[in-house]
Amino acid sequence: MKCKAVHNNLIFFLEKELPDSEMKEVREHLNSCPDCALFAEEMKKTFGILEVEKAVEVNPFFYTRVKARLENQEQEQVVGRPLLVRVLQPVTFSILLVLAVYGGIKMGQPYHSATGNDGLNEMQMIPYLNEMDAEPIEAFLME
Amino acid sequence: MSDPEIIEQLKQGSELAFKKLVETHQKLVVNTCFGLVHNREDAEDIAQDVFIEVYRNIQKFRADSKLSTWLYRIAVNRSLNHIRDNKKNRWFHSFEDEVSAKNKQLQQLESSNSDQPEFELENKQRATILYEAINELPKNQKVAFTLSKYEELSYQEIAEVMELSVSSVESLLFRAKKALQKKLYKCYQKKCM
Ligand SMILES: [Zn+2]
Repeated sequence: MKCKAVHNNLIFFLEKELPDSEMKEVREHLNSCPDCALFAEEMKKTFGILEVEKAVEVNPFFYTRVKARLENQEQEQVVGRPLLVRVLQPVTFSILLVLAVYGGIKMGQPYHSATGNDGLNEMQMIPYLNEMDAEPIEAFLME
Repeated sequence: MSDPEIIEQLKQGSELAFKKLVETHQKLVVNTCFGLVHNREDAEDIAQDVFIEVYRNIQKFRADSKLSTWLYRIAVNRSLNHIRDNKKNRWFHSFEDEVSAKNKQLQQLESSNSDQPEFELENKQRATILYEAINELPKNQKVAFTLSKYEELSYQEIAEVMELSVSSVESLLFRAKKALQKKLYKCYQKKCM
């Protein structure tokens, strides 16, 4: 077997994946060729790194860290809510303003129309308006 | 607790089951990530996200599939994404240049720290060569090689994780080993080993 053939099959020789006859040929070549033997030795040591890496002990704090990261992420989702409030707040105020203006016009109307039912109209109007105003304010405070 | 029991209890929201799941499988996940990213800190960081993904998606997990297959898949995908996001620009550097540059850095680092025995340096240099060589493999070869070498999975198991046929896995591993051997030999000739 020539040096080049050995180089091409060395990894399979080290992994013991060659047919028996070829395993024997490579072994014989390595015994008689110091150059190939040196490369084989170096390659063996290099792949030996994998074995060392695999044996590294796992971090005893691993689960604690996973848990902490999970809780952090969940908290971030909760902290994300004020953004929603920041959007909802001006929207709520705008609706309240529109309602107040609308209510003001409605409330003014009975005085303009000089009919005999003035008093009754006003009585019906006030609780209606109060309801309209109170509900969004309550909803806003609960947010 | 067996895997199906852990999953069943986790689906019901048991925190203990999650702890058990992490402790039983953390080595598998960290090793797989390490085999692909070659950095202990990064590997643990990715592995944490793997378990969080499992926690959040446990309801979608089908009872008839294997938990380890699922874990390997998530670990591989997340590690590959990490590699993609951290890829340096290396258009002009050859493999040998990269290795010698890294090893020179290592030597400078070590000489200022004289109580380290010499074989430590040699092994670190070998590790650099090996990682660089593995990093340069095409994606599928890299994954197959990692699962075979770091996790000692059988061809059949690798085929399941990668959703490939056994013969494709055989061919990927054959090509990966050939490529690694070639790179190491080049390095050996140029004395970068
Ligand atoms: Zn020879």
